[in-house]
Amino acid sequence: MADELKIDSGALIFATLADVYLSSGMIDEAILILKDGLVRNPGYTLAKIILGRAYYMNGDINEALKILQEVYAEAPDSENTNLYLGHCYKKLGDNENALKYYEATLKINPENSEAKQGIEMLKAARVEEKPETVTPEKTEITVPAEEKEEEKLTPTTPEPTEVTIPTEEKVTEEIKAEETPIEEKSEEVKPEPEEEKPTEEKAEEKPETVTPEKTEVTVPAEKKEEEKLTPTKPEPTEVTVPTEEKVTEEIKAEETPIEEKPEEVKPEPEEEKPTEEKAEEKPETVTPEKAEVAVPADEKEKPEVVGKTKEEVLPEIGWAEKAEKQETPLEALDAPMRRLLDIKTVKGAFICSRDGLLIQNYYDRPDIEELCALIASVISDADESFKFLQKDSLERGIIEKPDETICVVATGESLLTVITEPKTKPGLIFVYARKIIEEIKEILE
Amino acid sequence: MKLNSIIKLSKVFGAGLVSNDGFIIDAQFTIGYDAEKFGATAARIVNRIRKSLDVEKASAIFYTQKSVFFIRETEEGIFFAICHKDANIGLIKIKIEQTLKKK
Repeated sequence: MADELKIDSGALIFATLADVYLSSGMIDEAILILKDGLVRNPGYTLAKIILGRAYYMNGDINEALKILQEVYAEAPDSENTNLYLGHCYKKLGDNENALKYYEATLKINPENSEAKQGIEMLKAARVEEKPETVTPEKTEITVPAEEKEEEKLTPTTPEPTEVTIPTEEKVTEEIKAEETPIEEKSEEVKPEPEEEKPTEEKAEEKPETVTPEKTEVTVPAEKKEEEKLTPTKPEPTEVTVPTEEKVTEEIKAEETPIEEKPEEVKPEPEEEKPTEEKAEEKPETVTPEKAEVAVPADEKEKPEVVGKTKEEVLPEIGWAEKAEKQETPLEALDAPMRRLLDIKTVKGAFICSRDGLLIQNYYDRPDIEELCALIASVISDADESFKFLQKDSLERGIIEKPDETICVVATGESLLTVITEPKTKPGLIFVYARKIIEEIKEILE
Repeated sequence: MKLNSIIKLSKVFGAGLVSNDGFIIDAQFTIGYDAEKFGATAARIVNRIRKSLDVEKASAIFYTQKSVFFIRETEEGIFFAICHKDANIGLIKIKIEQTLKKK
C-alpha cells in the first residue's frame, strides 16, 4: 500500500494506509500520511475522521476536537465522527457533550458498542457523584476511610427510590448503608410507608451512637441485649422488614454487617429466637435451600466473611432477594414440571447439569443419579460431535429405547430430561418442554 | 437400501449407512456435506448410547441449531440422515421407517 502511494501520491489509499498504521499503533506515521494526503485531497472527509481519531489516540484532544468538529459541520450523520467527538469530550471531562455525541452515535447505529459503553461509564460516573452530595447530617458521622473507599468501589445500582426519598429518609438510609449495607438494598425493593415516621427518631439517635469502628457502630451492648430478649418488639428504625424476626436479625447485623445477609432471607433462625411467637410467625414453607443459606450462630462470629468487600457480597444479596420472592429456586420449578408430568404417558422427568449431576428429580427410580450421568454423557458426546462437524450445538434429542423414550432438552448449563412411554408423541413433550424451559432458564440462570 | 426415497424429501441433506466402526457402507449426500464425517459421528453416538443406556438397537434424533440428525441402528449397520431444522421431521421419520422396513 505504501508503494502504491509512492507511485500515485494523489491516491485516496492514504486513508486506508493510515488506518492500518493506526491499528498497529503507528500513530505518528498515520498522522504524517493523513496530513500529507489531506493537502492533496482537502475535501476527503474519511481522511479527516481518521486524522481526528489519530490525534485522539495520540492524546492531542484539542487537535482532534478541532478537526472532528470541522467534519461534523460537514457531515453530522457520521457515526465515527460522533463517536470520537464523544470520546474527546469525555476525555476533557465535558460529560454532557460526551453524552450528547454518544447518543447521536447510537441514533445512527444502535449497535455501536463503544458508544454504549461510553454512555454506561458516564452514567455510572454520575451515579458515583451523587453520594458525594451528602446532606449535612451525614457529614457529622465519622466514617472510617476504609468504609468510604468500599462504598466508592461498590457498583452503585441506579435506584429510583434513592432519588425520590425526602432528605430525612435519605439520611437514615445513608447511615444504615454504612452500618448494614444489606438493609439498604432490601429497602429499595419494598419501601414501606409505616416506617417513615420513626426514621426521624433514628436520624437523631444514630449519629450519637455511630463510631468509626464497624463492630461497635450501632447499639450499645446493653441495649442489644435488651432487644434480643424482647425480639417481638417492632423496632421503629427498621425500614424494610415487616417481621419481628428480622428485627432481631438486623440488630445482630449491626454487629457483623456482612455475614448476616443470608439471615434476612431465611425465616428460621431457631437458635436466635426460641420463643413460641417466632415459630408462629415463621413462613409455612421452610425449604432446605433456605436452611443451606442460613448461617449457624457460631459461624456468624467467625471472621471468614468479614474481609469481604461489598462487591463480593452484593451478588449474594441479589440471590437472597430472589429467594425471598420465590420460596426457593427449585421449588419454583415444581409448578411447570407438574404440568409436564400431568401428561399420561410421561413416566417422569428430571433436571440435571450438563456434567451429569442431578438438580431436581421428578422420577421415582432408584438409579436416577446413574441414569442422569449416563444421559448427560450421551448428550455431551453428541454435542461435541456436532460442534466438531458443523460448528453447531445440540438443542434437544430423542433417544428411543424399546421400553421407553428419552426426550432431552438442553437449557444452557442444564438438561431437562423427560422419560416417556415408547408410544408417546415426542412433539407434545417438546411443546410442553419448550414452555417449561423458559421458566427453568429464568430460575436456574 | 433405497436411500433415494429419503434424499428426495425436501430439505434433506443426505443419508447413509455406516458400519459400527464408522466406515461408510453407502451414502448419498448433497454437495458440501462430508458423508464420512457424518457417518463416523453417527457410529460414535450409537456406540455411546448402546454402552451408556444399554440399548440393543439404538435409535435417536438430535436437533441442533442448524439441522436435525437421525440415527437408527439396523441389522445392516447404522443408518443416519441429516436434514435442515425446518424440514418436516415427522415425515422424514416415517419415510426412514418405511425405507428400513423395506430394506
